Amino acid sequence: MGGRAHDPRTTRRSLIAMGAGGLTAAALATTGCLRRHDPAALTFWGTGYEGDYSPHLAAAFTTATGIPVETQSLPGTAAHEKFLTAHAGGSLPDVMMLPSGWVAEFAMIGAVAPLPDPALATDTFHGVMRPLTFAGVPHAIPWSVGSQVQFYRRDLLGEVGYDAAPLTWDGWRDVGAKLKRRHPDRFAILMFLNWWDTLITFAGQAGAYPLRDRDTRGDFRNPRYREALAFYVSLFADGYAPGVSSNEIQDPLAAFAQGYFALYPSGPTLLTDLHRRAAEIAPDRWGTARMPGPNGPGRVSAINNSIAVSATTPRPREAWALARHLTSAASELTFQRMIGSLPARRSAWTSPQLADPLLRPFAAQMELPAELPIIVEWERIRLEVQIVAERVVRGGLTIDEGLAAMDARVDAILARRRELVAAGRIA
Amino acid sequence: MTGSVHRRQQRAAWIFAAPVLGIIALVFVLPTLLALALSVTDYSIYALADWSNLRFVGFGNFADLLATPLFWRALRNTAIFAGLGVPMAIGTSLATALLLHDATVRWKPVWRVALFAPYVTGIVATAVVWRFVLNTRFGLLNWALAQVGVAPVDWLGDPRWSIPAILLFVTWKVFGYNMIVFTAALAAVPGELMEAARLDGAGAWTRFRHVTLPAIGPTLLLAAVMSVAGFLQLFAEPYVMTLGGPSQSTVTVLYFMFDEGFKWWNLGQASAVAFVLFVLILGVTLVQTRIGRRYEWL
Repeated sequence: MGGRAHDPRTTRRSLIAMGAGGLTAAALATTGCLRRHDPAALTFWGTGYEGDYSPHLAAAFTTATGIPVETQSLPGTAAHEKFLTAHAGGSLPDVMMLPSGWVAEFAMIGAVAPLPDPALATDTFHGVMRPLTFAGVPHAIPWSVGSQVQFYRRDLLGEVGYDAAPLTWDGWRDVGAKLKRRHPDRFAILMFLNWWDTLITFAGQAGAYPLRDRDTRGDFRNPRYREALAFYVSLFADGYAPGVSSNEIQDPLAAFAQGYFALYPSGPTLLTDLHRRAAEIAPDRWGTARMPGPNGPGRVSAINNSIAVSATTPRPREAWALARHLTSAASELTFQRMIGSLPARRSAWTSPQLADPLLRPFAAQMELPAELPIIVEWERIRLEVQIVAERVVRGGLTIDEGLAAMDARVDAILARRRELVAAGRIA
Repeated sequence: MTGSVHRRQQRAAWIFAAPVLGIIALVFVLPTLLALALSVTDYSIYALADWSNLRFVGFGNFADLLATPLFWRALRNTAIFAGLGVPMAIGTSLATALLLHDATVRWKPVWRVALFAPYVTGIVATAVVWRFVLNTRFGLLNWALAQVGVAPVDWLGDPRWSIPAILLFVTWKVFGYNMIVFTAALAAVPGELMEAARLDGAGAWTRFRHVTLPAIGPTLLLAAVMSVAGFLQLFAEPYVMTLGGPSQSTVTVLYFMFDEGFKWWNLGQASAVAFVLFVLILGVTLVQTRIGRRYEWL
């Protein structure tokens, strides 16, 4: 071995190896730089449109304060685990957007800081602060409110004698039956089987609260919840709604434009998509209305978002300044123009840009959110309940078996919470 | 004299092996032991909030696991994936390798590159394409089936078809790798043996069964061991294609573990799942090596 050390081939080879090593090191250094351009920058993570478009809001902040901001957009389906692992690994961003339902959970594990100024929690709609408060202290600033409303096709409903979307369950079923008779190969309603919000809305409309015993057990086998699930399942069983998940209809808006269905429960960001794609579906062919209830509109599910600051940020003052900037009435109105998200700040609603009649159902609905449990397990519970509901729709379980399965699953998920509540360790 | 040389060589061998052994200890033995330790605690999000909420629960997690219907479902789904997927993937690899091995095939490198390409293409990009191929209304596959009079199949939306649909995708994605391995093994099959068998009047099947197969036996065993381990750890494909749906029909053991551990932070429970999977793969591999020994492939 030693005798071959002077072999020129070996030297050349080692030179090549060194060169390759150097290149790899340079490449690693470059990607390292790409991941974080600027150590002086504040970091922000958001999901969905808010995450994608946050650089527009951040630019104004940088201009005003000179502090650069790096934003990252996370896919909504993977955000929960991303935030959790980031907290466990000590790499949370300085400022983050959290769906309101997650705030209490992240406050409990000490990931997000309490608001430094109680004034940040005022000037919003009824019930919006409730999930953002942990142990009596607000931990996030409301950012946007997204009550569920129904988008409807004026022309298709007109064909069956309705000039606006029905606001009662019976009305929905009537539209379903008539449209199905007219177009047997199409549907009346689109409700994705892997999305929970519509069933939560129906339960809220029926006046059902999902848990009991200080939120330590499921309460699905009560008559009001049964009524909601039975109505939900009947829409699929009678062929008014297709039994599809969101990954099967990749472009629901195109399907809506083609008349594959006429009623579509969704949130405010759909407005933006509809305006942008007016070439596919003209503005006079659709409208918005409040979700139907057993006897008219009532409490509905909402997807509200909020802004929180990491408890471990090394620069809390600047981080809160960014949080204030993002949640200012001016920023919320900019976002409304840009991506359609609706301001959580009540004072922003005096702006003429929110006087559009299409927004009226949202404004009316904002005051009546569905009453939901504020416990760390809720995020999981609503997914598991929807999975059982999907099995009932697909015929694997009867309605009563489904309700029993929901109670069993939820009781299992809440086992640890029951122990801790019984031991007096959590309220 | 020879003793000291032997000792010196032995020392040199240990020095050369030490870095690898060190890395194995660090990235394999240590995490396995830590996971085992975690699996006997009730580490959950409450423990992340406050360490005093952590308790030793012995085999409680394993008992809970056996009482969880979704875990059994995941185990069953994984068994179906592996039971159908391994023969499908290896069969396709071997069949294409045999076809490409034939002397009459032209432009072999082109075919090899084309068939190997899916293996090195990003899974998310290919999943997007395959979701279009499998689309119920506009998909290429349903269009092709319609040409022969088959009614449209709701590939990713019907719990009965979701596993076959994903298997189709996985097979297409992975068969190229073993195809290359088999191509190399086939090149080593002695030509004169083939010639002799042909002169003795052996047909194509007999030649394959008694000449080719024994020669590529060890390679086949290796491919089987790696494929079984791979299919038992199936995760990314259902994650990008169906998110475990519809009706949790494509939740695999690893997917279940990911959800429990990283989505809901029940790391105690998730570690128990990891340990069960570890024992399962170890068991299956032992059986496979025993079969291999019987055929003298090892």
